[in-house]
Amino acid sequence: MALLKLALRNLRRNRRRTAITFVALVAGVGAMVAIKGFINGQRRQILENQMRGNLGALQVHKKGYVENVLGSPLTLDFADTPELRAKVAAVPGVKAVSPRIEFGAQLSTPDKKPLPEDGSELPEADRGITSFLMLTAFDPALERQVTPKRWEWLGAGRGEMLQSATAEQLVLNDDFARGVDVPMWKAGAELPPIEQRLAVLAPDRDSSLNGVNVVMIGAIASATPNDRRVGVISLGAAQQLLRMEGRVTEYGVDVDLKLDLEQVRGAVAAAVGPDYEVHTWEQRIPFVKDIVETQDFIFGIVSSILLFVVLLGVVNAMLMSVLERVREIGTMLAVGMKRRQIVSLFIAEGIVLGLVGGALGALLGWAWVSYMNSKGISIPAPGAKVPSLLRPSVDVLFVARAILQATAGAALASLWPAWRASRLRPVEALAHT
Amino acid sequence: MPHLIELSGIKKSYQLGLTEVVALRGVDLTVDVGEFTVVTGPSGSGKTTLLNIIGCLDRASAGKYVLDGIDVSDRDFDDLADVRNQKIGFIFQNFNLIPVLNVAENIEFPCSVRPGGEDAATLRARVEKLADEVGLKQYLHHKPDELSGGQRQRVAIARALITRPRLVLADEPTANLDSKTSDQIIDLMLQLNKLEGVTFLFSTHDPRVVKHARRALAISDGQMVDGALAH
Ligand SMILES: Nc1ncnc2c1ncn2[C@@H]1O[C@H](COP(=O)(O)OP(=O)(O)OP(=O)(O)O)[C@@H](O)[C@H]1O
Ligand SMILES: [Mg+2]
Repeated sequence: MALLKLALRNLRRNRRRTAITFVALVAGVGAMVAIKGFINGQRRQILENQMRGNLGALQVHKKGYVENVLGSPLTLDFADTPELRAKVAAVPGVKAVSPRIEFGAQLSTPDKKPLPEDGSELPEADRGITSFLMLTAFDPALERQVTPKRWEWLGAGRGEMLQSATAEQLVLNDDFARGVDVPMWKAGAELPPIEQRLAVLAPDRDSSLNGVNVVMIGAIASATPNDRRVGVISLGAAQQLLRMEGRVTEYGVDVDLKLDLEQVRGAVAAAVGPDYEVHTWEQRIPFVKDIVETQDFIFGIVSSILLFVVLLGVVNAMLMSVLERVREIGTMLAVGMKRRQIVSLFIAEGIVLGLVGGALGALLGWAWVSYMNSKGISIPAPGAKVPSLLRPSVDVLFVARAILQATAGAALASLWPAWRASRLRPVEALAHT
Repeated sequence: MPHLIELSGIKKSYQLGLTEVVALRGVDLTVDVGEFTVVTGPSGSGKTTLLNIIGCLDRASAGKYVLDGIDVSDRDFDDLADVRNQKIGFIFQNFNLIPVLNVAENIEFPCSVRPGGEDAATLRARVEKLADEVGLKQYLHHKPDELSGGQRQRVAIARALITRPRLVLADEPTANLDSKTSDQIIDLMLQLNKLEGVTFLFSTHDPRVVKHARRALAISDGQMVDGALAH
């Protein structure tokens, strides 16, 4: 008699109990796969937001820039020549290059009322405010190819994106703009007089302070953590302000994601030579690593508890099954079945339960993940206000491992009941009523 | 010819808390090949205890037991499992069929737990022949719960014989059957005893069953009593 056949029939015997244990297994493993899929999707979402909305797949800087203690030092800039851009653009896999300048600046809003004619001071509430922020300067036509999500997020905010590479315009984070009450200028309307525009002040490479008058033309909704005190400005305006004509501090690079990013990074680094450094977007956002580690830790605990509870159910079901079958086990022992064959029989029951329940659960979880992957869940990424599509995903290996864990777990859970069954003494088991 | 069963000075006591219950107080007994023997005695006299020891399901507290030339008094559990499987067939008062297996599977069960064993086709042929002998040819694919008590006991008899045992033990095999069915079961056992030469040893309360036996032993308070009749 194949043990397996006997195990299968025994499982069908108490259908209700088997069904309950089975449902718990299916639900447990299904939830594990679904939660993992969601976490993966959320991770992807955070990363994509960073890559497609902030950094670009790769970033080229002057050697030493990223490690520099000053943070975004203007002294580590480089000449933005057509040759250099061409070198980067020629690397296989590179789709677009956008020159940028990152710099710290001071933004002053205009007074809300004209100065009183009698020479007295404006009341505090009507005076303009000065605040600090980080600005990224770029040519919108080029940047749109590297970080298109900025435009999406602007759609969830107000106004428009910078209108040209030299426009004296500014786009701020929406929270920040509202916080400091920055007036917005409607594109196409007549420009306000100079004293009613915004003033951007920044020290240039020689630390002398310069200023430029701009208008805010749009506000971008927050979509990534730590993006509140930021804004973007046209590259031309920034170069004029910083006395950096023809110079930039970084290239943002878009890459064909079907290729291995690390390989493209290496190729770009080789193309630009040792005076430059090239980073992938993942290398630039250490906080994502923290999020990932925290999520993995919590997921580990949650899935362990889930599995533990489900397996307790298996232990209970198997134990009940042993207790119900005492006389039968006695009979089997009497006609010459060995103790280890009894152990194998009950473990086989556990394995079948774990394998079938685990596989069905994993399949259902995987089906949900696949469906949601194609459909997408519209939800803001952690720390974001703008919803973006979260696409859950799990790799086959995880699904296989979940099934294996359920199977091995159920086998382990059956070990004790199986051992108890095998320890029954035939005489007493046969006398059992 | 050596005896099939040779018990000498078999004692068995159970520890019930602080008190010791003595179930067998030194039993000497021999059974020869081909016998059809019944053990009778009042309730609590030790019939089941004795049959359990003879069936290698339990071990005596003292004494010597030689079965078919093998001293089984001090064998370990798995050894005894082999001895039971190869030499002894069991018939129980409450049939003890395996409910998830059908008649054919129940009959072949003791052979199917053997390592190696004969090929499935030969085994199945023997199962069918035995099923025919016990009158269950039509029921091979029925589950135990679809059979009457008498039919179930016939399955049990076939299961006891499938291993071609030296000895078939039956503890009150007819206690759960009505008198007509009892007679049929005893007749069947007698017939198999004649036909196959299998040794039968069984216990009973039922005086009507005792009549059929060719040798009757009586036990009382854990001891064999005189008056054992041999036909
Ligand atoms: N597991 C046990 N623990 C304690 N005492 C036991 C145990 N099994 C049997 N006994 C005692 O041993 C004695 C013999 O019991 P046994 O079951 O062998 O009698 P029996 O002749 O088969 O009785 P019955 O006709 O009622 O089946 C009885 O006094 C019984 O109470
Ligand atoms: Mg008894």
